[in-house]
Amino acid sequence: MASSISTAVPAPQQAAVSTQDELTQKIPTQPLQVAKRLEKFKTTIFTQMSSLAIKHGAINLGQGFPNFDGPDFVKEAAIQAIRDGKNQYARGYGVPDLNSAVAERFKKDTGLVVDPEKEVTVTSGCTEAIAATMLGLINPGDEVILFAPFYDSYEATLSMAGAKIKCITLRPPDFSIPIDELKSVVSKNTRAILMNTPHNPTGKMFTQEELNAIASLCIENDLLVFSDEVYDKLAFEMDHISIASLPGMYERTVTMNSLGKTFSLTGWKIGWAIAPPHLTWGVRQAHSFLTFATSTPMQFAAATALRAPDSYYEELRRDYVAKKNILVEGLNSVGFTVFPSSGTYFVVVDHTPFGLENDVAFCEYLIKEVGVVAIPTSVFYLNPEEGKNLVRFTFCKDEETLKSAVERMKQKLSKK
Amino acid sequence: MAAVQWKLKQAADDKFCNDNAAEGRRMAEMEKLSLVAKALTPSPIQQLSYLAQRYNAINLAEGFPDFPAPPHIKNAAVSAINSDFNQYRHVQGICDHVARKMKEMHGLDVDPLTDIVICCGQSEAFAATMFAIVDQGDEVIIFDPSYETYETCIRLAGGVPVHVALEPPNWTLNLDKLKKSFTVKTKAIVLNSPHNPTGKVFTKDELEIIAGACQTWNILAVTDEVYEHITFDKESHISLASLPEMQKRTIVTSSLSKTFSVTGWRIGWAIAPAWIASAVRNIHIRITDSAPAPFQEAALTALSSPPAYFDSLRSDYESKRDCAVNMLAEVGFKLQFKPKGSFFVFAPLPENCTLSDVEFVEELIKQAGVVAVPGCGFFHTTLCEENSSPAALSYQRRYIRFAFCKSEDTLAAASRKLSKLVDAYAILVSRVRAIRLGRLVSKNSCFKVNSLISCYVAHLAILLLAQKSEHSFK
Repeated sequence: MASSISTAVPAPQQAAVSTQDELTQKIPTQPLQVAKRLEKFKTTIFTQMSSLAIKHGAINLGQGFPNFDGPDFVKEAAIQAIRDGKNQYARGYGVPDLNSAVAERFKKDTGLVVDPEKEVTVTSGCTEAIAATMLGLINPGDEVILFAPFYDSYEATLSMAGAKIKCITLRPPDFSIPIDELKSVVSKNTRAILMNTPHNPTGKMFTQEELNAIASLCIENDLLVFSDEVYDKLAFEMDHISIASLPGMYERTVTMNSLGKTFSLTGWKIGWAIAPPHLTWGVRQAHSFLTFATSTPMQFAAATALRAPDSYYEELRRDYVAKKNILVEGLNSVGFTVFPSSGTYFVVVDHTPFGLENDVAFCEYLIKEVGVVAIPTSVFYLNPEEGKNLVRFTFCKDEETLKSAVERMKQKLSKK
Repeated sequence: MAAVQWKLKQAADDKFCNDNAAEGRRMAEMEKLSLVAKALTPSPIQQLSYLAQRYNAINLAEGFPDFPAPPHIKNAAVSAINSDFNQYRHVQGICDHVARKMKEMHGLDVDPLTDIVICCGQSEAFAATMFAIVDQGDEVIIFDPSYETYETCIRLAGGVPVHVALEPPNWTLNLDKLKKSFTVKTKAIVLNSPHNPTGKVFTKDELEIIAGACQTWNILAVTDEVYEHITFDKESHISLASLPEMQKRTIVTSSLSKTFSVTGWRIGWAIAPAWIASAVRNIHIRITDSAPAPFQEAALTALSSPPAYFDSLRSDYESKRDCAVNMLAEVGFKLQFKPKGSFFVFAPLPENCTLSDVEFVEELIKQAGVVAVPGCGFFHTTLCEENSSPAALSYQRRYIRFAFCKSEDTLAAASRKLSKLVDAYAILVSRVRAIRLGRLVSKNSCFKVNSLISCYVAHLAILLLAQKSEHSFK
């Protein structure tokens, strides 16, 4: 993968006189080049780290997808759908049964009753739900508030929509929301707040108090909220609260989620956005031109998945808590400062005890000398300096893998 | 699917209807949408879709097959799911196959490591390409009629679509019109061949003209080649990228969907020189990140299909085309232009029919139980040429698109239904001729028989009369 994009091709030679002389006009032409919006796009760190990891045979605790597979009952539902011939275009905004299943699940989780036909849109993963929400609801020049560190596609997608980013940094040890700072960045140009809870990369979960404060701010200033809740079922230390369920909030919130993390099927790309009809309208317009429709057999399977009994979710949580304990105990014993993570399958640690100058250097060292992959968090900040002490580990791996990684670190990583 | 089309209107001014509180609230809520989203409205074509459902009409509107996908490909997908290919993946093998095909079909050397981006269907490949190359205010030329999505992708990316009309009845490319469409702001041209909705396959000469224009004006070309394997009468699909000097400025988009009858799997790609492909990839990663993993795996099987697969795809679709063309001819359509590719027939309404395309399809649904797509959704009234008067553009309401990507049974059933309509008309015309003019009266109204006979629409009204007087017809 190219690590940089050349933005211009050398200006071509004057075109040879063609048979269509009429076409030749004395008008200056631009050099061929990609769109200016690409200037803000960095290569993703994940691919870089993954290539390095493979080269060194490192255990990958960097990329956020499981090395175990999804449940059989969901896979079988997809297979059945393929065999039943459900292989052509689905309705653009979702197979009706999936829209219903999403609405049912949302009601169970939040108590909110939504219309599956008018308020649910199925997308190719939560990534596309975010892209469609931005493009459908944000105008060039609108201000959008982000919390750093943030999932790295937010910044790029916002720039695709031409938004101006206002960033609030969450800081260790508990990454709590600085409410006063948040209030201070709201202006008359602010259109929306983009939030992610449970939060990637820190594992922080927004508390009731924090959500109340954000809600008041939004209502006072007539702001929208785009809430990325893909890890809502991986909530360990406290209950997940959807901001849409707070008074006065549903009408101004787009709640986004997906199948991938909850059901360990990250490659299926089934996501959704739940929003009141007037906001759903915008999301659907953009979605219909970004991907047009979402993969059909997987949608049928997703409907089955979402109707899983509570026992599935309880077991999921139990398994992940066990994995988390292995990793966190291991990281603590090795000498990292491990920050508390209430949800997701990530933990963020301070690597400075090991004497490397910044997070990228530490991660490279960790791969080459120790044989373990972590992700440098500086890519999740607008200002990379703010993340240089932190790296992110994931525990969405089987227990053997986690134990091996911990072993390697115990043996080879020493404090300075 | 194909029934949903959005017509763009001028972006609304911010006018609030103060008197009407409900309207005001609605407008206030509309304010929350982006300007582009606000400008999109549903078209009458969506209503036809509902009507078709109500009448249980045979669907010759939708551009996807009603026959099963090839078993060997479905099995590959099932096997992939069972083998745990279910996490985020990039299946490099797809790029290897696509590069090989480009070499076989078009003699192009494509680097599978850098020049190909796997996307969620050609839809996403096209959208990602537009975001990768279009800046605010850039103009992009599209040939008219066109698949509606191109225009909106361009607008979403901040660009300005410029429509250049292909000329009926054979949808020929007019060099003058093309040259007039270029300005200093032109960034790219979109080429869909084989073409939806007309079924045209651009000829070598036409491609050379387009290529010449691209070079003279130093612009990019973005092609949609999803019907690349569906061409008839020994016609070959030629990729614009294969013309001299074009590969370096062309982004080719295509997919599995139409070739392998898996429109619901969302596996497509963009092929471009590395510096452009890298930009498309960067955008794609932010739109969806990756295409569905098990179907990427199944794509390897699909793309390794032997030549016999593609041969029988072509010959099967050619018989379906012939069936559709015959069926329409029997009903009174005069098809001057037969499709050379894709799976659509773009049929002009009979000259003596005074109905618009939408009205005609409505009657077709109600009276014959068959649905097709009115052509107006593919045309644009703001064309880049001098004469855009309503009279000059009247042809835009005269075309119906019929899809023949349907099983033999479906096509046969459609044929039967349509010919019943014709038979009934023939019987009635002979009956009406035997009745003294002026004595043909229904319960509620009086028809002028002369105009009835001469007007195709009234053929259907006669049918209604026949039903009432004959008690049974079907």
